[in-house]
Amino acid sequence: MTAVMAIAYNTVREALSRRVVLLFLFGALVLIILSPLFSFLSPREELTLLKSLGLGVIQLASMFICIVMGISLIPAEIERRTIYTVLSKPVQRYEFVLGKFLGGILTMLFNILFMGIVFFAVVAWRATPKQALDLWKGFMMIFFQMSILVSLAIFFSVFLTPFVNFFMSLGVYIVGTLSSVTESLMKGENRTAIQKGIGAVLHYLLPQFGNFNVQNKIIHPETRIINEGVYYIQNIGYAILYIAVLLIIAVIIFDRREV
Amino acid sequence: MESAIKIEGLTKEYLNKTTGQMVRAVDDLHLEVYRGEIFGFLGPNGAGKTTTIKMLLGLIFPTKGDAWIFGKPIGDVSIKRQIAYLPESPYFYEYLTGRQVLDFYARLFGVPAGERKKKVDTLLDMVGLSRDGDKTLRNYSKGMLQRIGIAQALINDPELLFLDEPTSGLDPMARIEIRDLIIRLKQQGKTVFLSSHQLLEVELICDRVSILNRGKLLKAGKLDELLPSGRVEIVAENVSDDGVIAKIRDAGGVVQRQDGRIVVQQPDDASVNRVVDIIRSASGTIRSLTPQRRTLEELFVSTIEEVEKR
Ligand SMILES: Nc1ncnc2c1ncn2[C@@H]1O[C@H](COP(=O)(O)OP(=O)(O)OP(=O)(O)O)[C@@H](O)[C@H]1O
Ligand SMILES: [Mg+2]
Repeated sequence: MTAVMAIAYNTVREALSRRVVLLFLFGALVLIILSPLFSFLSPREELTLLKSLGLGVIQLASMFICIVMGISLIPAEIERRTIYTVLSKPVQRYEFVLGKFLGGILTMLFNILFMGIVFFAVVAWRATPKQALDLWKGFMMIFFQMSILVSLAIFFSVFLTPFVNFFMSLGVYIVGTLSSVTESLMKGENRTAIQKGIGAVLHYLLPQFGNFNVQNKIIHPETRIINEGVYYIQNIGYAILYIAVLLIIAVIIFDRREV
Repeated sequence: MESAIKIEGLTKEYLNKTTGQMVRAVDDLHLEVYRGEIFGFLGPNGAGKTTTIKMLLGLIFPTKGDAWIFGKPIGDVSIKRQIAYLPESPYFYEYLTGRQVLDFYARLFGVPAGERKKKVDTLLDMVGLSRDGDKTLRNYSKGMLQRIGIAQALINDPELLFLDEPTSGLDPMARIEIRDLIIRLKQQGKTVFLSSHQLLEVELICDRVSILNRGKLLKAGKLDELLPSGRVEIVAENVSDDGVIAKIRDAGGVVQRQDGRIVVQQPDDASVNRVVDIIRSASGTIRSLTPQRRTLEELFVSTIEEVEKR
């Protein structure tokens, strides 16, 4: 386990010193700080708009950081040949993959927390700290969403080039966000069997990123979910399961791969 | 003798992407390396040395054949506690300092935090980098990176070391230090698998060598056996008398005159004393007496040329 943690720690250190990651982080922070300027409606609507704007910025920036970082976590080690000295130590290949994944999600945790704290301060200043409190649920769901995305990028990275992986990860993320669309494709009337089949495959196979978008629930507190606790637990459980399956397949492929 | 590495029929084929054909980088290699020896793994560029080492370390997988390290099949991660690998022109995380990168490798071995600092300091000192330990590797020279590579190979006090061109990029002083280090490792009973193009060095330190060409093993054996000695060169002065020279020739020597000196090539040890006696009884002065051995370089070149001509 010390080996896994050492790899994770080193991964965080590298990711947080990458210019492209810092660029997205910095850009997002600027937008978050300026976000009050964009919400000039009535006070009630202002809070709504502010929250959806901020959460959207955090989510978008996280997604880009996540994909840009995730697609190169393992390929960069192979390309730079740093992997030779790591895998010739008593490190199992699954430990390497796990270390890279943990490093990836810790980086995302750091990024989301950093943006989140700044955004929290902005909302607390424009409204009240109490009204900002429910944001943490949004941050948490973005984190789990990004954790799936990290594992997805790692999964693709063991058999695709980073270039192809970028579009694959982005594509799956977008389609996975539209789970209501795939669902209607699957269940909708006057659809052919093939359309329904494709809809079902997309709906059940691709990660349902859409379920993690809690903006609506936070932004419109009046649309209460029947049981909030169950909703969060279900989605977090889904994320953990999905990540586990992706990582297991990634390890099986990576175990047979030459480096 | 107990074996450290045993290789049976190891073969590696790569797909040449431009021609679409399979290329044999290593071809049915059989080899045994014994515990406690320094084994020289030689061959021209592209012979398959690095490919072999990478297979032994489980970084790439053999197309055919098997190999064992300390009796365990390659791929068994537990052997990695006892072995070390210095890749050719090694690369490291360039955003780390020398100290940080060694600390990272020590963690991979699970060295507890309390011991790591001391261990890293000792290693930096050993490879002559104590003053540069806090520079990031981005700012290291090629030779300094090579030294870090050597330091990381020593972290676990390994029983068997795979060194792929360990002295490339090093200055003469460092080269000598590495040579001495390898000899020290042998004295401690370690096994060293050394791939190198520095044939003089190899000749100095290796017990056995092998020569690989286009994936095929051409020669393997003890240096003493591969490089038979016997010829002795005698240089003497004050013997120009034709009668004396005729006597030397009778004793089997090949004599050449060189401005006042004679240079005698004796084909074997046995007749050397006779020739020395002849020279001394003629009041000649012996200047030098040198056993002539074929150099490893000569052996290497002739071995490769022999197969390449065909
Ligand atoms: N990943 C690869 N894909 C295709 N061919 C490869 C690959 N790696 C090595 N080769 C080929 O295998 C052969 C052996 O290469 P290898 O690196 O083992 O040689 P080497 O003996 O280490 O040479 P050098 O002394 O130059 O380091 C070469 O012909 C090389 O082109
Ligand atoms: Mg090589």
